[in-house]
Amino acid sequence: MHLDIYGDTLTALVTAAALSSTGHQVTLRVPAGQVADDLDAHRMPYQEPGLEAMLDEQQRAGRLLTGSAEQMPDDRVEAVFLALSPAAQPFAESLIDQLAARREHSWLVVNQSNFPVGTTESLQQRLRDGAEPGVDRAVIVMPEMLQEGAALQSFMRPSSILVGCDSDWAEIHIREMLRPFNRLRDVMRLLRPREAEFTKLAINGMLATRLGFMNDMASLADALHVDIEQVRMGMGADPRIGEAYLYPGCGFGGLNFSRNVMSLANTLESSGVGSELLEQVLLINERQKEVLFRKLWQHYRTDLHGKTVTIWGAAFKPGTGRIDNAPALKLLEALWAQGVIVRVHDPKALPTLRAHYGERMDLVLCDDPYEAARGADALMLVTEWKDYWSPDYPRLHNLMAEPLLLDGRNILDPEFVRSSGFIYYGIGRQ
Amino acid sequence: MRSRTGVPADTVWQQLSEQAAALKHIHLAQMFANQPDRFSELSRRAGPLLLDLSKQRLDAHTLKLLASLADARDLRGWINRLFAGEPINHTEQRAAMHWALRVPVQQPSPVQQQVQEQLDRMTRLVERIHARQWRGVTGEVITDVVNIGVGGSDLGPMMVCRALDDAVDEQAVRTHFVSSMDGSQVSGLLHQLRPHSTLFVISSKSFTTIDTLYNAGTARAWLQRALGNDSAVIGCHFIGVSSSTEKMDQWGIPRANQLLLWDWVGGRFSLWSAIGLPIALRIGMQGFRDLLAGAHQMDEHFGTAPWVDNVPVLMALTGVWNTNILGIHAHAVLPYDGRLKHLPAFLSQLEMESNGKSVTRDGEPVPTGTCPVLWGEVGPNAQHAFYQLLHQGTEPVTCDFIAPARRYHELRHDAAAAELIGQHQLALANCFAQSRLLAFGEAALPPDERLPMHMRYHGNQPSTTLLLDQLDPFSLGALLAAYEHKVFAQAVIWQINPFDQWGVEMGKRIATETLSLLRGAGQAGAMDASTQGLIGQVISKLQPR
Repeated sequence: MHLDIYGDTLTALVTAAALSSTGHQVTLRVPAGQVADDLDAHRMPYQEPGLEAMLDEQQRAGRLLTGSAEQMPDDRVEAVFLALSPAAQPFAESLIDQLAARREHSWLVVNQSNFPVGTTESLQQRLRDGAEPGVDRAVIVMPEMLQEGAALQSFMRPSSILVGCDSDWAEIHIREMLRPFNRLRDVMRLLRPREAEFTKLAINGMLATRLGFMNDMASLADALHVDIEQVRMGMGADPRIGEAYLYPGCGFGGLNFSRNVMSLANTLESSGVGSELLEQVLLINERQKEVLFRKLWQHYRTDLHGKTVTIWGAAFKPGTGRIDNAPALKLLEALWAQGVIVRVHDPKALPTLRAHYGERMDLVLCDDPYEAARGADALMLVTEWKDYWSPDYPRLHNLMAEPLLLDGRNILDPEFVRSSGFIYYGIGRQ
Repeated sequence: MRSRTGVPADTVWQQLSEQAAALKHIHLAQMFANQPDRFSELSRRAGPLLLDLSKQRLDAHTLKLLASLADARDLRGWINRLFAGEPINHTEQRAAMHWALRVPVQQPSPVQQQVQEQLDRMTRLVERIHARQWRGVTGEVITDVVNIGVGGSDLGPMMVCRALDDAVDEQAVRTHFVSSMDGSQVSGLLHQLRPHSTLFVISSKSFTTIDTLYNAGTARAWLQRALGNDSAVIGCHFIGVSSSTEKMDQWGIPRANQLLLWDWVGGRFSLWSAIGLPIALRIGMQGFRDLLAGAHQMDEHFGTAPWVDNVPVLMALTGVWNTNILGIHAHAVLPYDGRLKHLPAFLSQLEMESNGKSVTRDGEPVPTGTCPVLWGEVGPNAQHAFYQLLHQGTEPVTCDFIAPARRYHELRHDAAAAELIGQHQLALANCFAQSRLLAFGEAALPPDERLPMHMRYHGNQPSTTLLLDQLDPFSLGALLAAYEHKVFAQAVIWQINPFDQWGVEMGKRIATETLSLLRGAGQAGAMDASTQGLIGQVISKLQPR
């Protein structure tokens, strides 16, 4: 099939790569902006395993072309994907209006953007306005379920596919397009469009709530001298609870995750219902981002002026170079406000961090994690990059001014760290 | 005594009495009938403030006589002495330079450097708190600030914070006020707050005020119970505002958390100083500077405008006319805006603590009456309370009606604005209707309407209306400065010192003695029978049954 994909999100790139790799003829149309500039300059805007290679491969094979987002699909195109940023809703509407104006053309539009609940139905209304009788047209929604850091994998080997669709004709087509990714067993679940949109928000709300709950438990564990890791494993063994999303840590970030939870909070608020629970979840998460700061503040008895602190990991999660809503940002600002010099290492996010804050005297970016630890009064492990799982403790001990290790992801063994001569603080464990 | 301009004060008082006799039988309704342009003749504007004196029982000639009284008392000279920073608070040998706190940075003043230094320190504290980077001892962000103070260290900041609700900074933290010595406010508040995220501001010019120190002690114990005895608890959870660095040091407040004011700022004139920290925390430093700018504009007006156009001077002289010539000894402050809820309490302190005096600057008994009894309430609510007495009682009362012309146009009101604007119009209509009924009495009613005696309104009750363009930091600054200068100008006419308060000192002292008796120490024999009896009752209730 000929498919056009509009958008500058990670979803747009992943969808383009995945669908072209199964033989479709895809045109990726990226609206003007940072992402488009990056692609023009052959810079990958999203660091995702395998994504860049697959995009290159498909382009070389001629199945993936790029085009202007200002241009309309040509007449051969059977389906249009919208993987736009939430702010681009007006763009989506005007695009739909232009498609609608081609009265004899049949259109399937697949909306993957994070627009408010109900948007897909109103887009479908627009698309069907003025169509010739008997011309098939539908807008369906396929909420993106990408796990950042494993985005391509989660598109091509999905554990479930949510599709919001109220047209048999559209269902036949979407099933055909996704068939290569839905072979082992049928994981496609069909709902009404607004139900699919809402489900996506509710899933994220639930995951965030689990993390918020665990972080709340971790604070209690701290106060009660209980090791939260033991509690976590005990809880996870209960099949009613399961193991996923039970890891306490120094807060979740990420553009999509945070934005989705907030978008659900907004959806509820503007409908006058309001979700006290989700508000609390977001609040706990924001507080949690500063948990390592609070431990450091208490350790140094409220006087951090003139100290040097190392942060390992600025990306909001391993595998990505993005820092949207990352805990490291809140930590940096809290530390700077107390007159601390911060030395940061991250395998991928340093350029983004530099662009975000510019040059400052109290921010030192280091390409080497041990160089970052030189002269530090504390080391904060914030993002669980694989590089950090087994540090060279003697080397760290030599480099640091004070052997103080704050493990924001509970990936180190407290006993071993201590036996290497460090003071250790984890999240909900000591 | 002869004044610099030649007409002796006694002569002017005599002329004023004659003028009163001439006007005595002319009802306010008649005055309006006789003079259709009475409003334009008897209203004045200063910046954002309109002063309407047309419902006062006076005319343009009265104002001229009152102006010559001001001359006879050398008001010009006293204003010059005020603004020169002379020690006009002679019983304490201090200047009264609250005006210097609002002199803009580019204009010189005798104390410019210290004032700007404290403003800068205040700015840094406010910015840190607003950036959510002021940390409690456990590293938590401070979300609630409790001001512990009393009198000038409480009423002013609390009144302004409430009044400027619509100017609240988007980064503002929650502010609370604790003043009462019996602990009722502090105990209620501590139940709602978390020690980890609460910051206390101890606000006391002398840092010896017993009410404040007891409340602060309770707060400290509450924090220490939750957070431990470490000295860092005080360092992270207390800011001190005082003129005594030494006393703040003794209490344990680190220098970095100390804000200073000076002897030359009276407590009830101190909201413009670091005592105003809670205000800045609510409305931001820009809002606080706008408040100062509004007051400064009024300072300039007061210092330069001729008496008959000078808003604070006219407020003062009208008050003198009502109190000393017409013999009205009660004055009500009636804001028609719920945000000005605490203004009556603030003004009763400002006026009664300043001018509730009976000895002249020369140490003689004052020959005339001084400050009237002053009280008040939000107007629409007071209509359901004491307005009955205003309309039909035997005791004459003068009133200040205060209202903003515009309200509810701020962005935050967008959704409900139409309904709220309707409510504001209703309040304004009531404000104007009440002052009209007070002035005109039955003449305000349709002709032909004959009422039985118990339903009649005699009218002829004088009132002033103060109309603000809108209630914002700038206009509130101007309004409050106008009242401050009114108080000063009246004190000059009455020849008293408005800046001391010896009448509140002795009570504090003998309370200390009484306290030891209540705690079972000391000899009750030294007390009068009533006090002994009361103490006996309390002690008998404390005994286990």
